[in-house]
Parts: sequence; C-alpha cells; structure tokens
Amino acid sequence: MDIFNLPDLGEGLPDAEIHEWFVKVGDSVKIDDPLVSMETAKAVVDVPSPQEGIIAKIYGQVGDVIKTGAPLISFEANVTKPLDKGTVVGNLEESNDISEDIFTIGKDSNKKRAITTPIVRILAKKLNIDLNLLKGTGEHGVITRDDVEKAANKKNELPEGYEPLRGVRRSMLNSMVESHREVVPVSIFDEVDISAWYENTDITVRLIHAISDAIKKEPALNAWFNSSHGARKCFNELNLGLAMDSDEGLFVPVIHDVAKHSDKDLRQIINDYKNQVQSRAIPADKLKGATITLSNFGKFSGRFASPIIVPPMVAILAVGKLYEAVVPNKGNFEAHRLLPLSLSFDHRAVTGGEATRFLGVVIESLQKP
Amino acid sequence: MTTVAARFEIPFIQILNEKAELKTPLPEFANDKTTLLNLYRNMVETRIFDKKAIALQRTGKMGTYAPINGQEAISTAIGNALHKDDVFIPYYRDYAAQFQRGVKMSDILSYWGGDERGSDYSTNNKDMPICVPIASQCLHAAGIAFSFKYRNQDRVALVTIGDGGTSEGDFYEAINVAGVWNLPVVFVINNNKWAISVSISKQTAAKTLAQKAIAAGFDGVQVDGNDILATRLVIGEAIEKARRKEGPTLIEALSYRLSDHTTADDATRYQPKDEVDSASLKEPIGRYKKFLEQQNILDDNLEKEILESSTEKVQKSVDEYLQKSTQPISSIFDYHYESIPDYLIEQRAIAMEDVNRG
Amino acid sequence: MLIVADITLVEAVTQALAFELANDDSVVVFGEDVGKNGGVFRATAGLQERFGESRVFDSPLAESMIAGLAVGMSVQGLKPVAEFQFMGFIFPAMNQIIAHAARMRNRTRGRLSCPIVFRAPFGGGIRAPEHHSESTEALFAHIPGLQVVIPSSPKRAYGLLLAAIRNPDPVIFLEPKRIYRLVKQPVEDDGKALPLGKCFRLREGTDLTLISWGASVHETMLAAKELAEDGIYCEVLDVATIKPLDIETILDSVERTGRCIIVHEAAKTGGVGAEISAQIMENCMSSLIAPVQRVTGYDVTMPYFQLEKFYLPSVARIKETAMSIME
Repeated sequence: MDIFNLPDLGEGLPDAEIHEWFVKVGDSVKIDDPLVSMETAKAVVDVPSPQEGIIAKIYGQVGDVIKTGAPLISFEANVTKPLDKGTVVGNLEESNDISEDIFTIGKDSNKKRAITTPIVRILAKKLNIDLNLLKGTGEHGVITRDDVEKAANKKNELPEGYEPLRGVRRSMLNSMVESHREVVPVSIFDEVDISAWYENTDITVRLIHAISDAIKKEPALNAWFNSSHGARKCFNELNLGLAMDSDEGLFVPVIHDVAKHSDKDLRQIINDYKNQVQSRAIPADKLKGATITLSNFGKFSGRFASPIIVPPMVAILAVGKLYEAVVPNKGNFEAHRLLPLSLSFDHRAVTGGEATRFLGVVIESLQKP
Repeated sequence: MTTVAARFEIPFIQILNEKAELKTPLPEFANDKTTLLNLYRNMVETRIFDKKAIALQRTGKMGTYAPINGQEAISTAIGNALHKDDVFIPYYRDYAAQFQRGVKMSDILSYWGGDERGSDYSTNNKDMPICVPIASQCLHAAGIAFSFKYRNQDRVALVTIGDGGTSEGDFYEAINVAGVWNLPVVFVINNNKWAISVSISKQTAAKTLAQKAIAAGFDGVQVDGNDILATRLVIGEAIEKARRKEGPTLIEALSYRLSDHTTADDATRYQPKDEVDSASLKEPIGRYKKFLEQQNILDDNLEKEILESSTEKVQKSVDEYLQKSTQPISSIFDYHYESIPDYLIEQRAIAMEDVNRG
Repeated sequence: MLIVADITLVEAVTQALAFELANDDSVVVFGEDVGKNGGVFRATAGLQERFGESRVFDSPLAESMIAGLAVGMSVQGLKPVAEFQFMGFIFPAMNQIIAHAARMRNRTRGRLSCPIVFRAPFGGGIRAPEHHSESTEALFAHIPGLQVVIPSSPKRAYGLLLAAIRNPDPVIFLEPKRIYRLVKQPVEDDGKALPLGKCFRLREGTDLTLISWGASVHETMLAAKELAEDGIYCEVLDVATIKPLDIETILDSVERTGRCIIVHEAAKTGGVGAEISAQIMENCMSSLIAPVQRVTGYDVTMPYFQLEKFYLPSVARIKETAMSIME
C-alpha cells in the first residue's frame, strides 16, 4: 500500500479539514486527478492525486481534521513489475517458434582448388597440364614450376616396351596422318593380260609408258591439288614418283620429265635410284616434285591394294604380284599372265570418269606386245 | 552555502639541482655505490648509442629515428626501478629502460631500420614494443595491470608518454580506468616541453600535467626529470606503491628535448636558441657526473673506462645490426595468424616468385 | 548434465559465454552494462551473478578504453571478450583494433598476440534511434590480422562464439540483433565449437546460389522457399565467417548452379559482396551463366526507423533479382 500524507497546503499550515471527497475506495485514478478538497484557515484547496492507482483506503470523513504530514489516502500497491523489454532502444521482434537448425558445414568433398601463381598457370597451359590433378610440393601445398614440368615430362614418357618412331618411319607416320586427314580416296581395281609381251620386257618401263599414255588422255590425274584454295594445277610433263622399299622404309625418288628419257635411260635411272636408296645416298631434290606415283608392291605378295595418295598429288597406281590364271579365249581356257592394277585417286580433284578412263588407257597400253 | 568539494596539491621533487648541489638528503638507494655507478653508466651508454643511431640515419644506414638526447635520466631510472617480472610499456624515447630489460641495442636499430624482428625481443619478456600511435599504449598498460590484479600477482606495469600525448583521449581513458579499478600501473610523463613543434604551453591549460591524475582520482607528482636521483626515487616509490596494491601514480618528469623530434624533423625551425642553450646546462649527465666526482665514486680512469666500454658495446651492436640479413619475403605473410589462412598462400607464393625474378 | 534448451540467438550467446567462463579461467567478459544489468540485450544476463565481478564486470564509458584494455589483457595471456554496446559505437575503438590488436602478432614476429573477441550487436530493423543500426563489417574484413564472424542462428551462434573465444587471434563477432529473439532452437550446451572459416549450407539447390550472412539470411531463406514454388531451386549459403572467407564452398556451389546472388544489409559500395563477387569471377568464370548479382542496402546512411524497412534487402527484391537472371 502506498500511503499519501496530507501535504503542507501553504505556508506551514498545521492541519486542514476534509471538505469534500471526490473519490471512494476502489476508484481508479490518474495522476493529478482531484482526490479531495480540504478547508484550511485561509481557503478551500483541492488536493490532486500524486500517482496513478486504485484507492485502497481513505483516512477520514467530511468534517474530520487531518494534521499536515498525517495519512490522508492510500493506493493499492503496484503489483505488476514492468516487463523486461530486453533492450535499451527500439523493439526486438520475438516469437515462440521453435525449429531445428539444419545445415551442413562447407562443401561435400574435401578437395581444394589448385593453389599456384600466374606464371605457373601460364606454364601449365603451355604444357597442357591440368593443375587440379597435381599435388603441390611447394610450401603450404603450392604447385611449383617443377611440379608442372615433372608432370609434363611424365606425360611425354612412353609406357613400357614402346619405342618412338624415328627417321623414315616417322615421316611415313606424318604423311599417312596428313593424307588421311585431307584426301577423299577412291580405289579402282582391274587386271591386265600381258601374255602378248615379248620375253625380257622391262615391266617398270612398260608401266611408266602406260602412265605417260594415260596422262595424255586424262591429265587430271597428273595434277596437284591445293585444299586451302580448292584449286588444282595439271602438269604437262610427267614427274613420276617411283616407290622403292628399303630396310629403313619406303622412299619415293622422282623421275623428272619422263618424256625426255629413252627406255635405256629410264632403266639406268631406276637402277641408280635403287642403289642410292639402299645406301641412303639419295639426294633430297630427287625425292621432290612427283606429280603421280607408281608403286610396284607385289614383289612378295598381294594383288590388289588401296594405296595412299600423298598430297598434293591426286593419284597413285599400284601394281600387285604377277600371277598366272586360267582365262577364256575364243571359247578355250588358257593360262595367261595377269598383272593386277589398283588405281587410287583423290575424288576431291578427280572424277570417276577421269579415273576409269585413265586406267583404261593404262590397260590398253600394257596389253600391247 | 559553498564549501570546498575537493582540493589538490602537486608536489615537486628535486634532489640534485643543475649545479650538482644536493637540495635534500640522499635517498636510501644512494647508499649503494654500485647502483649509483650503474645509473651513470646506463645514461652514458644510452647517449653514445643515441649519437650513433643518428649518425646511422644520416648516412643512410637506418630509417627515421627518435632521439633521446637530454632525456636519458627518465628511462634510466625506470629500467633500474622495475623488477624483472614487471612489464614496461614504452612510447618511443625510452631506450635506457629497454636496454636494462633485455632489449638489445641492435633490436632498436632493427626497429627503426625497417625490420619487424626489432620488436621480437629475444629474451622473450612480455614488455610491449615501441608504440607509435600516440597515447594508445596507456590503455595497454591498464589492461596489462588488470591481468596482474586478476591473477593476484605482485607485478606492476609502467607506461611512459610524452607531454603531447596527455592531450589524447586514450590517456584520459587510461588514467580514469586505472583509478576506478585501482590498477597496479604507474604512468610516467616525459615532459620534454615539445610535441614535435607544439610547445607545452599550447598543449593544455593545466598548470602541471601531473594534476590530471587528480581528475582520475589518484596522486600526481612532478619531478625534475634531469635529476637521476629524484627521478629514481619517485619512480621507485610509485612502483612499490602499486605493488602494495595501493593504486596508480602519475609522474610528470620535467626535462627538455635537446634534439629534433625525429631525424626527419628540424627543431631549429621552432626551438628558440636561447632556450635550448639554457636547457643544455640542465641536462642529466653533466650534473650527475659532477656529483659522482664529488662523492669520489667517479674518477678520470673510471670515466675513461665507461666511455670506452660504452663505445665498444654500441659499436658491436651496430655491427650486429648491419650484418643482419634481410628477412625473406615470406615473412610478411607468416605472422598474421597462428597458422597461415588459405587466402594468403597464393599471395605468398606470388610474392616469393616475384622476389626470385630478381 | 548436458542441458538442451530451446533458446534464442542472444541466449545462445549467453550460453556460450557461460561455458567458456566455466571452463577457462583466462576468459573475462566486460563492457558497458554487462554486469548486473546483463547487457542491454541481456546477452550477459546472469553471468556476473554466477561467475562473480572479477570475471564479468562493467567498464567505464569509453570504447577506445574497452579495446585498449583488451589488447593489454590479451598480450598477458588472458582471453578477454569485450562488448561494444552497439556496432555504431565501435568507431572510437578502431585505432586500438586496427593499429594494435590486428597487428600485434605480426609486428612482434609472433612474440606477442591478441586472443580477443570483440562482440557487438549490429544491423538494423529494430526501430532504434540513429547510430544504433550500423552494418560496417566490411571495414573490419579489410584489415589484415582480423577475423570477422557473423552467426545467423542460435545453434550456430553458440558454436561460432566458442570457436571465436578459443581462437588465438582477434575476432570481431557481430550479432545480428534483429534476429536476436526471432527464432528458438534446441542448442545443446556441449561446448562443441563450429569451425571458423566455413560456410554453412542451409538449403540445397541446382539453379541458383544465394549467399548471405547475419539477419539477411532470414529473408534469403524465405525468398528461396518462395522461388522453389516457382520452380527455381536455390542453394543457400550462410557465409558466417566473413574473414577468412570459405571461397571453396562458394565456388563449389556456383560451379554447380552457374548463378549467384549475394545478399547483405550493409551498403553496396565496398561491401563484402563485392569481394565475394570478384573472387567468384576470378575462379569460376566459365561456370557462370549470368553475372554475379548483389542485393544490398543502398549506398546511404541507414535511414531513421520510419523508412528503415525499405532500406533492408527484402524477400521481394531478392526474388526479383533471381528471376531477372534466370532465363
């Protein structure tokens, strides 16, 4: 209970008489509401409420004299304490929602990105190394220059038992890959009956003549094709590449301008080339400039083949193993000598018609005695 | 009705005046001749070091340096009075104290010479390194003193500050908390009259700096900072008072800055010559030398020996400093956290590569 | 006896402080009004009563002093947890934090170090007077030698504060006051710290990575929920440790989703979102289907509270930005 004593109503008055009550027990009052009027020696004075509250007790009736400082009225004690707002400014939103905290820490895998410097990144790019596959040996796991170089060397290391191709074999590898990448090859197979030939006919020279004849008819197969420009150059003179095998691999020396050589010359040149190839003494310029190639591959075995065209040439004639077969002749069966022929041409630059006509001329030429 | 809410008095203490006259009886510690000689030796060594340091800077072998010339007595007294387990929190003109507490001369040269290792005092004591942000060290001292109180230890923290520093907020905040928490800390102001070019008369309206302690609720004392005997006495008493858990003291030691603020400053631009001349007559070493001679503690031979050994010690330290190799670039990364964070690893590798590129 | 109480974020702070005070007598907790009053947000309620005035105590009203004392205490081997009443009042302490706490280990080559936690309630949204709603975590993230940690749930606040107190180097621990009491979670008082320097994945997704921290995580999660109803499945990451940033988890997520929005209450320019955006671009540019976006507070002083809700990144703004980068 909060007791309110009669205040000094003015200049040290010792007491005052209750004149009229404005409230009764149980009333709710606000601060400054008039509670009672008191009569003093000088005047009738209203006494305002000192606080907010509910009247609990009054200490006298109208007409009673109350001494200054003695209880006049009391209020019910303020039971409810102010709520702790838990802040000194503003207002914190509260809720009674209860939930579980659902989370995972970091990412799923423990793998970290490669840590290295820009210079090493440049090196790795150059050497085609994936930095994320390396384990850094530098301080704090940094990938070093060394790490990248070691990985590059390892990558270039051959697996067990392998031997890198060198020299002529390597050239073969490169030119086969290049041909395969560019050329659109078609092969035509046929045979020619050379029974009419005289004894000791030089096969190679006959073949060379056959090709000479054929290119006169179909110069399209004695040409070079330029794929980047999509253009071709047909040649008048025949620079015949003659494929020759050796222990090292295949060489193709070139008989330049065949027409200007006699048969005897041709045979001489061919023999010279054979020797030079064997002794690896063939000069470089003799290996260049072929406009069409002849490959007599059938020494040991094989009749037909699909020989590889080496750009910029567009055709190659391959001759397989000479064999005897039974052929029909005017109603009889006879044993004749046959020479198998395989013509490969680059269909980007040569038509089927040109090729078949070319082959036709070759056969016609070779059939003659 | 007005009564007096508070009054204060700031005592000024001097034992040996500038003419080497004893103004009061000698304090007790002066009975020990070894102590008296050590005080002299420390001041002489520090002055020789100081001159050498300035020369190093002037010849391009060291960076900007804060000289201590003329103020050697204050930090000499501090170094002598503190116990080994106490902690010293310097500003940047306290070399005499640091040298007595295991900081090598070459450490100080390294610090001003641009090498962080100059703050890695090899004796691994807990003293704070040189502090550049003015007055901020005062709060560190309060925190250090708190840790002694918290652990119930008999240790004391002592912090130094210049006259200019006492205008800083951190100074007031530090003395305030030292007072209200009754911390075992001693504040020593080196009032050398100058804060770079701003004289003490422009720094504050307070008659003494010592009286700022009154606002913080504890005692302030003024002492002749060029009188090694008085300075040693007053500082020693304040330290022991703190050790007895009787609270902090603010000591204002009066001296004069007989040097530039740093080697990058030119004091002749603002220090009046006649003032400097008269102050030089009051510097600490001259008067104390006279006193020791009068007491028959110092003679020409001993003086010679002290000069020679000090010079040799300083030269050895200079050699040590000059021969130190530069830190590897990786060191700029390796001490930020207890273990290096991921984001620094790549940066560190780049920096190391960059250095090797040469 | 392990207690599992359903507690709010601010109560989780109290729980963590109590655990460390009980188990490590080098820990002291101090600041303005943290003693008998228990802190103006009651973050230290009951601690002085339980541990005594020597462990949990009020300091005089001086922020630089609070930080400077912490520096001095910590170099002597104490582990002070110093409270700044509001982030807006941390500015007088910047000199002590930046010039000393952040660099003490480096400048003494490891001889001295500062295992301090500087705690402060931060951020807006509680209708407070001016200066009481600051979000300037970027200022601290910029400083070498500091660590910045911002929890966004009661459970994570508990685990992260334990980690911060146990960390040997200074941590700025910012408590988002708008969500101090918004949510209750069961948090076991087991003393288990969560790792610093790790993002927390709150939601898995395939289309878009939403990155946030502090109170904005609340809006970000709401946006993710609503976007899912529109068929946009978001992955939500709570950065939690602003520095050192867990960029690995962020990159891992963005590499999978190809799109990223960073949401933060702090002002846009120079905010931490810019740093994260730059790192994402540096490291997984080829995975990005759209540029990294930021939904942030505007580059203005936090408005007085009548307009503050328009400043804070809203669910609507997040959703709109998300839709704008989905094809």
